[in-house]
Amino acid sequence: MNTLIHYLEIYRVQLKNNFVREAVYRTNFLTTLFVDFIWIVVEFSLFTVIYANTTTLGGWTQPQIFFFLGVFFSSDALFTVFFQRNFWVFSDLVNKGELDILLTKPTSPVFLALTRSINITAIFNVVLGVLIMIKYAGPAGFAGGLAWFKVPVWLTVGLFTALHIRFFSSVWVFWTDRSWAFTHLYYQFFNFASKPDTIYPKAIRFLLRTALPFAFIGSVPARALLDGLSTTEELGVAAVLCAFFAANGILWNLGLRRYQSASS
Amino acid sequence: MNWQWRWAALKNGFQDATAYRIEFFFEVFGSAVTPAIIQIMLWYALFQVGGASQVAGLSYNELIHYTLVSTLFTQVRGGNNDFELSEMIRSGALSNYLLRPVGVVEFTYIRGVAPKIFIAGLCLVVGIALSFFLGLNPTRILGAMGLAMVGNIIHYQLGAILATAAFHWEEAYSVLMVKNMLVAFLSGELIPLTFFPEKWAWIWKSTPFYLYVFGPTQYALGKWTDAEFFHQVLLSGLWLIGFSILVRVSWALSIRRYQSLGG
Repeated sequence: MNTLIHYLEIYRVQLKNNFVREAVYRTNFLTTLFVDFIWIVVEFSLFTVIYANTTTLGGWTQPQIFFFLGVFFSSDALFTVFFQRNFWVFSDLVNKGELDILLTKPTSPVFLALTRSINITAIFNVVLGVLIMIKYAGPAGFAGGLAWFKVPVWLTVGLFTALHIRFFSSVWVFWTDRSWAFTHLYYQFFNFASKPDTIYPKAIRFLLRTALPFAFIGSVPARALLDGLSTTEELGVAAVLCAFFAANGILWNLGLRRYQSASS
Repeated sequence: MNWQWRWAALKNGFQDATAYRIEFFFEVFGSAVTPAIIQIMLWYALFQVGGASQVAGLSYNELIHYTLVSTLFTQVRGGNNDFELSEMIRSGALSNYLLRPVGVVEFTYIRGVAPKIFIAGLCLVVGIALSFFLGLNPTRILGAMGLAMVGNIIHYQLGAILATAAFHWEEAYSVLMVKNMLVAFLSGELIPLTFFPEKWAWIWKSTPFYLYVFGPTQYALGKWTDAEFFHQVLLSGLWLIGFSILVRVSWALSIRRYQSLGG
């Protein structure tokens, strides 16, 4: 219990520091909103044009796809709020020896590495995603009522999936000079997450639900909310996330052993 | 015209881009293969899962051909050198370039286009090889690649105009990000522009973006006649002239605000 309070207190301080920084860079707030809004508009336009030529896509109707986009945007925006900025500088921790300072603190260095920067303004994009979900919930066939309580649960699944995959793509910096190639690969594969997983053939779908679980960011949560998942599928999601958690923990510890301060 | 510094900038740009060779090829390969796979999966979902026989007047095979050929031109379309310009203005690094006897806009383009010329050569070889399998005319691939390279210049010119926003606003990179998102959609890189219903076609026809990917692909696939192609080449020439005037005007007006410590 004391440990939890200790970490909550650290997080409170990080949040305060980030809030002060965001208050200083106010135009950044509008910029973030503007760029993400255009991204949403482009994704919606893309599917609108596709649906001008068909009625279903991989078994999804147009309102269902828009509902999926709402889930996907919210989930992705949550990742932006809590973790994205930390990954921008993740390789500097190792290459420039900035990890030294975190290792000297009386708390988990990985916790500090992943929580130092919080993009508070991106919360508005989470709200935007939720508003999209609300708008298309009815036409998409979402049950509504108590089922809305499942939304935060599945958004959290999406958030932790993105965190684990991104961490897995970044932690190799302990062994390579630059983690840029893996990061690039992450963003390439991330494109798979922006489409519902049912459009892919079985083999790719399997990959997106196991070794590269990008489907857990938007597609699987949207399906879980609209149609529900079988127990096997739910257990599968839990098992994959646990496996990534364990693998990332092992890789981080092995990486720390290899770390030699400036440029390991 | 001093070719010496231009040649040096080209060589330097190529060496810089390929300093990390594995990453360079990784990037080229990744940015070609992943979007192509996703696009093919989209056609799979429409035709094999959805049971459609034609979408927007195109068959499954025609769409696969579109994906394969458009991927070549997607690799050639403009890079992110406009972000470099914007960052130079924001950070004040532009001062170093103002002291040199070179035009900063042209210098940045030449440095950035060097790896693209190499990629265009590679894509041309792949395209010509592909043309034998897909029954296409290799000379059309050559012409289409030429149009794609002109598209590359137009893309950069537009970026250079938008980058001048950095003289006025620190977050100007966002304008370039928005431009790139619109380009991805309206260039025909994500879906063929024939998917647009007729009433919305004016949207893509009123920008030059379709000349980057969709136009070259249409010509390579034989969907455009030679006359239509030359008409589009002429149009791209007009875009080039218009944008080069705008580049000069926007830089001449905006640079007055430059304070050397940032825009």
